[in-house]
Amino acid sequence: MMQQERTKVILGVIGADCHAVGNKILEHVITAAGYEVVNLGVLVPQEDFVNAAIETDAKAILVASLYGHGEIDCRGLRGRCEEAGIGDILLYVGGNLVVGKTDFHEVKEKFLEMGYNRVYEPGVLLERVIEDLQQDLQERGLSRD
Amino acid sequence: MELKNKKWTHDQFYAIRGEVLNQWPTGAAVDFAEAVKYHENIPAKKHFAKQLVKAKKNGRTLTQPRAGVALINEHINLLNFLRTEGEADLLPTTIDSYTRQNQYAEAENGIEESKRAGRSLLNGFPAVNHGVAGVRKVIESVNGPLQVRHGTPDARLLGEITLAGGYTAYEGGGISYNIPYAKSVSLEKTIYDWQYCDRLVGIYAEHGIEINREPFGPLTGTLVPPSVSHAVAIIEGILAAEQGVKNITLGYGQCGNLFQDIAAIKALEQLAEEYLNNHGYPDCVLTTVFHQWMGGFPQDEAKAFGVISWGAAAAALAKATKVIVKTPHEALGIPTKEANAQGLKTTRQLINMLADQPFPLSIEVQSEIDIIKAETRCILDKVYELGNGDFAQGTVAAFAAGVLDVPFAPSRYTLNKILPARDNHGAVRLFDIGNLPFTQDIIDFHQAKMNERAKAEGRNASFQMVIDDIYAISKGRLVGRPH
Repeated sequence: MMQQERTKVILGVIGADCHAVGNKILEHVITAAGYEVVNLGVLVPQEDFVNAAIETDAKAILVASLYGHGEIDCRGLRGRCEEAGIGDILLYVGGNLVVGKTDFHEVKEKFLEMGYNRVYEPGVLLERVIEDLQQDLQERGLSRD
Repeated sequence: MELKNKKWTHDQFYAIRGEVLNQWPTGAAVDFAEAVKYHENIPAKKHFAKQLVKAKKNGRTLTQPRAGVALINEHINLLNFLRTEGEADLLPTTIDSYTRQNQYAEAENGIEESKRAGRSLLNGFPAVNHGVAGVRKVIESVNGPLQVRHGTPDARLLGEITLAGGYTAYEGGGISYNIPYAKSVSLEKTIYDWQYCDRLVGIYAEHGIEINREPFGPLTGTLVPPSVSHAVAIIEGILAAEQGVKNITLGYGQCGNLFQDIAAIKALEQLAEEYLNNHGYPDCVLTTVFHQWMGGFPQDEAKAFGVISWGAAAAALAKATKVIVKTPHEALGIPTKEANAQGLKTTRQLINMLADQPFPLSIEVQSEIDIIKAETRCILDKVYELGNGDFAQGTVAAFAAGVLDVPFAPSRYTLNKILPARDNHGAVRLFDIGNLPFTQDIIDFHQAKMNERAKAEGRNASFQMVIDDIYAISKGRLVGRPH
């Protein structure tokens, strides 16, 4: 019996950020939820996210930024995806996205405008991310069931 | 280049110095002879190394925050606020993450964007871009001892500029600023590049200028067992001492169980003295730093103050020479200066109240000291053996073999085989020993401790237990028990 192929998602920590702990736990949890995680680890440039998504035919890119430079690092990723012909891929971002304690609604608006489909506050439950991913894939007809 | 734990000759050092100073245009302004004169005029109260020695002598624990922003004037205001409002004894300059990766063009862009936005878009102070003159503006406008704190695998140019600028302390090391801070930089390269930094400090010492060096103790800051971080700290202490460094601070990140934390500082002091003496460096002044909890924090600020207070208490009772302070904004990223000052004042209050209360050397503390020492010796002696008597070569071989291994590290140069978890009393033990060269007694000890907890919780020790422990403090507990 042929095993059903699992949906692939790209995971990584963007820019000059080397926070590795959450990345390892995300990989574990998303894999346990039935996805194939292509984990690029830490210190990932934008082009590596795009290239990995093309090479593996991934359906979503999950970007993390913990160190405060998220605003500079995350800008333009949607544009790169469009240029590379994967403009409609799901883009999620989460972490401590800006320097300083800031109103999350403002942060969320800023990143939605940048073209991210989902923006997560610090301390988000990973179950919610998995639920959102399932729902978004289903809406796009990319769900496994 | 062949990596060896051997003091660089002046010829060796100066052969590559020009290349280092050429990495960014601001390197041209570094003038060593002039920098020595500049250091000679730094008063003792602003001298980091001297303040540490004084605190050690008086049995005091000094407070130090982390802090850094993109622009010079804002950075000065921030540090002065932490000194006056936060009552900080020692001050930092935390370097931004682009500079840490030697991305000076990106740092320049961050400076420009910060000017336009009217707020810092960088998570630290880009000292290389500001250059010697910019750094001196900070040194001269801030009334306190200043240290460079960062996370830079190749910190040679940053070292040249900040030390010539007048900093009297420099954090980092070839292991502790590689394994937790890089993905694919070899240990041969980072140890070699940090020998340069240590040799630079050693050459300042030859000219009578004392500069403190501090390897980064907590490593990944995530359930790192004391013996694992102690082994790295002592190796980095030895590597620094070989290059002529005379004033060394070794560090440890709080685990959360008071007996283990006090024992860890005692064991670190005793072992470091012993190893430095036995390996030919009896003239180093050693001090200790205790890092308040480095893992995830509660978002609720009142609860965060609880975590900060517990770290302050442990640091004071362990008699660490200084404590690195967290803030109530920890769960949300980089704090405001007000939140930073609050963490400092909370810590100050605890330290003052505990200053006159000696903590008795109980059986519990002594047995923790014994186990930490026994484990650390197993690792250090194996590293030395693998290097055929050379700690630099031994370190490279030991990481490849998993004899040195750091949990949850981003670097591909650590095996990542060990898995820590808390025991039933919250002390950090090893649920998976990996390839650590422990004796059977020690392996049995860890297994018994894990079994005791697993039984109490009615589940098997597994990766889920490790995850539960990683999030436990941010969810209001020490041990990650099942619901």
